[in-house]
Amino acid sequence: MEKKVTFSKASEKDVTRAIVSEFTKQFSEYVESDVIVVGGGPSGLMAGRELASKGIKVLVVERNNYLGGGFWIGGYLMNKVTVRAPAQEVLSELQIPYKEFTEGLYVADGPHACSKLIAAACDAGIKIANMTIFEDLVLRENNKVSGVVVNWTPVGALPREITCVDPVALESKIVIDSTGHDACVVKKLEERGLIKTSGYGAMWVEQSEGLVVEHTGEAHPGLIVIGMAVSTTFGLPRMGPTFGSMLLSGKKGAEVALEMLDQH
Amino acid sequence: MSHPFVAIPSYIHIYQGVGADQVNGSEIADYLKLILKRAKVDLRLEFFNFCLSFYSGEAKADIFNETAVQMAKIKVRDVTKKDILSEPMPLEIEYEKKNLLKSTGRTFGILYEGFKLQQLYLKLINKEERDLQHLHFIITDQLFATWDHHNHRYHARTSIYGLPSLLSTSGIVEAPAKPRDFYLKRQLGEDPHLLKEEYQESFIDYSDPRMTDVLKGYVAQALFYHLAGYPFCEDKNCRLFNAHRQSELIHAQMLSPYEFCPTHQALLDQLEEVLSD
Repeated sequence: MEKKVTFSKASEKDVTRAIVSEFTKQFSEYVESDVIVVGGGPSGLMAGRELASKGIKVLVVERNNYLGGGFWIGGYLMNKVTVRAPAQEVLSELQIPYKEFTEGLYVADGPHACSKLIAAACDAGIKIANMTIFEDLVLRENNKVSGVVVNWTPVGALPREITCVDPVALESKIVIDSTGHDACVVKKLEERGLIKTSGYGAMWVEQSEGLVVEHTGEAHPGLIVIGMAVSTTFGLPRMGPTFGSMLLSGKKGAEVALEMLDQH
Repeated sequence: MSHPFVAIPSYIHIYQGVGADQVNGSEIADYLKLILKRAKVDLRLEFFNFCLSFYSGEAKADIFNETAVQMAKIKVRDVTKKDILSEPMPLEIEYEKKNLLKSTGRTFGILYEGFKLQQLYLKLINKEERDLQHLHFIITDQLFATWDHHNHRYHARTSIYGLPSLLSTSGIVEAPAKPRDFYLKRQLGEDPHLLKEEYQESFIDYSDPRMTDVLKGYVAQALFYHLAGYPFCEDKNCRLFNAHRQSELIHAQMLSPYEFCPTHQALLDQLEEVLSD
């Protein structure tokens, strides 16, 4: 005989209250964080995971509903992702299954890798503000970056006369720009004349993956740049879907943030 | 005795800025000794670290810091724009400092303005060795580019000749064009590692065992630049041929029926006569 499934009783208002109260409680708590990561792609998630696992209060701001950026798929919309040694060590660490394709080149299933990375970051304790778009920076004395101004993503998609919704500000000790080639946070500093970015180079140059990791760091007081945003900031060669450097750049960004927080 | 040579150097200094597993510097030094028997050829450490070793204390720190700043300034940030110099960010200078400390294996990928890099290096050479009697051949894995006035963009180069001469192993891989099909297949998303295996005979790659042989042609060009005032030859079989394609490069340096064309061989014979007088 088929067992009947009976859900416990909850009215519509209870459901709404649960959503509103838990969201506002978390949002209120994360109005002030240690680190705000703008961009929830592979480098941002990796940095968030590393920091949160060490007890750092991390909020990831993501403009899309989904996290993971381009990590779900590899080149040409095919859902296999590749990393080159030594980045496979990160895959092992996250318990993502992979195989060696050629010497030093590893391939993993995109959806599996991406969902494991998201889960690892959530398990470590990051909190996420998705459907939330970065609009501006909070600057303090000597133009030190001290937070971000955000709004709901859909607000920007509607005519201004319909949605005249002011953004809100979130404060943090450190902001990490992991917004990919757009480098949205760094570009905002550039608009204010506080930094001069180079734009990514047009050349494809092999073995330049390490450059992104080596240039990962504090680009402006209070602002760390990681992932593909590093290429745009420093004019490094553009790369294809090379996720190894995204993961390792995220790790290095977290190390830099920890050093900065120690000095705080 | 009158002769057609611009200058006949007495010393050739080779700076090995890439690992011995990549390039056999001693073999290149021996090759130069065969061409220019009178010259003393020595193999030195990586150029910057060699130059820096003559300084100490504050002067050393100043040169180190200033070179890092200048290196960060002369990066080609946009290959379509000429002479863009901008104030580098602190992180870029820090990167250059870390890079300068490496004796070999500097990271590939950053493109420097070739002539500005040459000027920067010239200033680092000891004054006693800054003349036409001393040739400095800097073997490096750094990439550099020069502006092309015909199509108004920077192009990566294998070498820049003068005082000093710069010879880039990364440039040998990246600058001469690979087979057309290679690029087409790469654009279509074929795995670059498998593509390399398929085309490995068609171009010189990083860590290629043929690199030392190929470099011999480039040091010969650098030497002819000083001897005759012009480094290149139009004969595709001559080591002095200015190859724009990998196939031409491999042919001129490795597959040609002769090493130097009759004209350049005659010049070398004449050089030997002059030196024996």
